[in-house]
Amino acid sequence: LKDIQLNIEWHGIWFVTGTFDYDLVVIGGGSGGLACSKEAAQLGQKVAVLDYVEPSVKGTKWGIGGTCVNVGCIPKKLMHQAALLGTALKDAQKYEQWKPAVQNHVRSLNWGHRVQLQDKEVKYLNVKGSLLDEHTVKGSTRTGKEIMLTAKNIVIATGGRPKYPTHIPGAVEHGITSDDIFWLKESPGKTLVVGASYVALECAGFLTGIGLETTVMVRSIPLRGFDQQMAGLVTDYMEAYGTKFSWRSVPKSVDKLSSGVLQVTWTDEQTGKDQRDTFDSVLWAVGRAPETKTLGLEKVGVKLNKESGKILVAADESTSVPNIYAFGDIGEGRPELTPTAIKAGKLLARRLAGQTNELMNYDNVATTVFTPLEYGCVGLSEEEAESRHGKDSIEVYHAFYKPLEFTVAERDASQCYIKVVCKRGGDQRILGLHFTGPNAGEVTQGFAMGFQCGATLTHLKETVGIHPTCAEELTKVNVSKRSGLDATVTGC
Amino acid sequence: MSHYEEVKVHGYDEFCKAVSERKGNDIFAYFSGDIDTQGLSWCPDCVKAEPIVRGEMSHLPEGSVFFYCQVGERPYWKDPNNEFKKTLKLSGVPTLIRYGTPQKLVEEECFKADLVRMMFTED
Repeated sequence: LKDIQLNIEWHGIWFVTGTFDYDLVVIGGGSGGLACSKEAAQLGQKVAVLDYVEPSVKGTKWGIGGTCVNVGCIPKKLMHQAALLGTALKDAQKYEQWKPAVQNHVRSLNWGHRVQLQDKEVKYLNVKGSLLDEHTVKGSTRTGKEIMLTAKNIVIATGGRPKYPTHIPGAVEHGITSDDIFWLKESPGKTLVVGASYVALECAGFLTGIGLETTVMVRSIPLRGFDQQMAGLVTDYMEAYGTKFSWRSVPKSVDKLSSGVLQVTWTDEQTGKDQRDTFDSVLWAVGRAPETKTLGLEKVGVKLNKESGKILVAADESTSVPNIYAFGDIGEGRPELTPTAIKAGKLLARRLAGQTNELMNYDNVATTVFTPLEYGCVGLSEEEAESRHGKDSIEVYHAFYKPLEFTVAERDASQCYIKVVCKRGGDQRILGLHFTGPNAGEVTQGFAMGFQCGATLTHLKETVGIHPTCAEELTKVNVSKRSGLDATVTGC
Repeated sequence: MSHYEEVKVHGYDEFCKAVSERKGNDIFAYFSGDIDTQGLSWCPDCVKAEPIVRGEMSHLPEGSVFFYCQVGERPYWKDPNNEFKKTLKLSGVPTLIRYGTPQKLVEEECFKADLVRMMFTED
């Protein structure tokens, strides 16, 4: 009670003098939090960023930079590259060989962020932040020491962490998640990846590529939310290249046998029967949960979406409490992507510094799934376009093409495919663009700019291709699904 | 009696030999252009950075080793194939590194006392 009294008096003093320790305190030092705090500091604000990694169930922890740098995009893409090289050279690079290279790079990024923060005079504190009131943040160190900071504005950018299916016996004790897969002491060995999200498929993809026996266990559909035809091509390719898939399967329990291997029991939903197999590792990729539980949000009045647990935010990233903002993975309805978090964070910093009124545009964001056969897309899926405009109002152009690279290696290219979903009539505005093939991210990025500018099929056809590339096939697309004609591209 | 050991070396071979003799220690290395008889380096940035780096050395961890390494004369340094550039991947002088980690401060970064202190005290 005495402590509460002190706080109230203290805040009386603060409001009278009108000074806070900081102009801005950012809770969360990931892609979004770092971009926001550095931008704000550059604009003359006094900023502190709090970053703290609660160790995973298995005890994995990491430095500053958030999910992307430590347990997401960066190590993922490096492992994906390793796997592609491993497959190409038919000399699978082992996990033990790649791990130090990946970890060194991540550590250099951690260091780079530390230097940048110091350089831009952003105060970095390795403490677990929580809200005491709308202007006060409490930070707890690993050893339990507490510090208080007051701030004019508070930004929450704490992101998310992988979910564990706690209702499955043995899941927590014996399973790992993407938090752990890049930092294991030993190779994961024969692995079961449970889930069908891009996290599940990307992990299963690179594990297969580095020579490990990998199975993906899918309850219903792969890549929920993505174009399902494209998702099917991605998984078909993976199956053709050695990743096993256990479709319509729901895990029931995980037991550790005396030999040390994990025995997984699951239900085959098609037959209703139980199946069993053993694995060295079980990787849960069944969704991510927002990091909001220990933030003290309820007490301060920051409203959450009851179902997702994410913070309800307005177009300017504001929450239900006037000077508290939230963005990145933690925001309800926001894409869970690094580039959107970075851009939103920078714009928020500029608005808070009074430099601009510009809001973040979350539309037309391109993404790529870095599975063994990469899938890049921007705009609507065919299903979404149909649902919004009606099947008769859209025209879908498509082509099966063969990358030149595959010819030399005699690789099967049946899943290399392009789909351009357009509004029917007139110049046929492009509603969605989809591409599976090598370097899909590189291919899609350029077309995303066209999409942002309102590109039409006419624009696409007026663009001369660069030869020989896979990307040029997008400019040559002319067979519609409606025509029923063969969409296979013939030689040049 | 300081809590760290300073080792002065000259040239790549001497540096490598001295480092190999001290494996297991927390090793920091400061690379500078050669010092002349007046104590000045041909590298103006090195002249500027040295007192700043030395000013933070009291923050070095207990039992660590601090290598002061003169890389050579200017023509040697300018050759893009010199061993420091090729093998240690140094891009400029002065450079301050924490051996065995990706932690490094290059050129103007060495002018910032707080960055130097951060390297000496961070885990």
